[in-house]
Amino acid sequence: MDGNISKPKVQEGVWLWLLKVLFGVAIAVLIAVHFIVNHLVADGGLLTYQDVINYYKIPGIAAMEIAFLIFVVIHALMGTRSIFLDLNPSEKMLKIINWGMLVLGVAAIAYGIWLAQVIAGR
Amino acid sequence: MENSPSSSKFMRWFDPRYRQVGTWAFILNRVTAIGLTVYLVLHLFMLGKLAQGPEAYDSFIALAKTPLIKFGELLVVAAGILHGLNGIRITLNSFGVLVRYQKQIFIILLILSVTAIAYFAYFMFFLA
Repeated sequence: MDGNISKPKVQEGVWLWLLKVLFGVAIAVLIAVHFIVNHLVADGGLLTYQDVINYYKIPGIAAMEIAFLIFVVIHALMGTRSIFLDLNPSEKMLKIINWGMLVLGVAAIAYGIWLAQVIAGR
Repeated sequence: MENSPSSSKFMRWFDPRYRQVGTWAFILNRVTAIGLTVYLVLHLFMLGKLAQGPEAYDSFIALAKTPLIKFGELLVVAAGILHGLNGIRITLNSFGVLVRYQKQIFIILLILSVTAIAYFAYFMFFLA
């Protein structure tokens, strides 16, 4: 039985594995919130530019969307890293992968926060 | 090394025979993961149109209302539901919860997913 359950891969490290798992659970909750507020609180959905601007005027929305973005980006990068680990990268290759993921993650989150600020400011 | 990559092993990815339920669950999780990651990238680029102003965003939304894009969005919803429910199963199993019933739980979550996806399909194409 023990061989059948999910556990950290070789080279993954237990904390990164735990982060991937816990962020996955957090995303399951936040995606429900993201969906409900996107489609129900904003009446009829966010189908025009003006809808989105009005939506971001609701207090807490920008913070919720940014939190969601951070969880999703990190979970997606961890998951992508898991796929690379299945291909048994060399130490050198893994280092390149790690730095690539860090740069991509920081860039995606910075971009998302910038975008949320731009929209909230209009 | 037993776990080292080789081209013959790579071709076995595409051989559907002799797979067990757990393997299908793994494949489902990985395929949906890749799909959702691609969607995340597209979604972030698409939302960038908000910074360009009303015309850019509204013309994108007009494109998003075409049947082909809506079908793509349904695939994203389907991937999200399957990956999310299966992920919850994997998390519970990882902490030793319900490990004995993982196959049954997988079948149940598949049924739940199909129901939810059918509802979304109906909603997106007939109500929205």
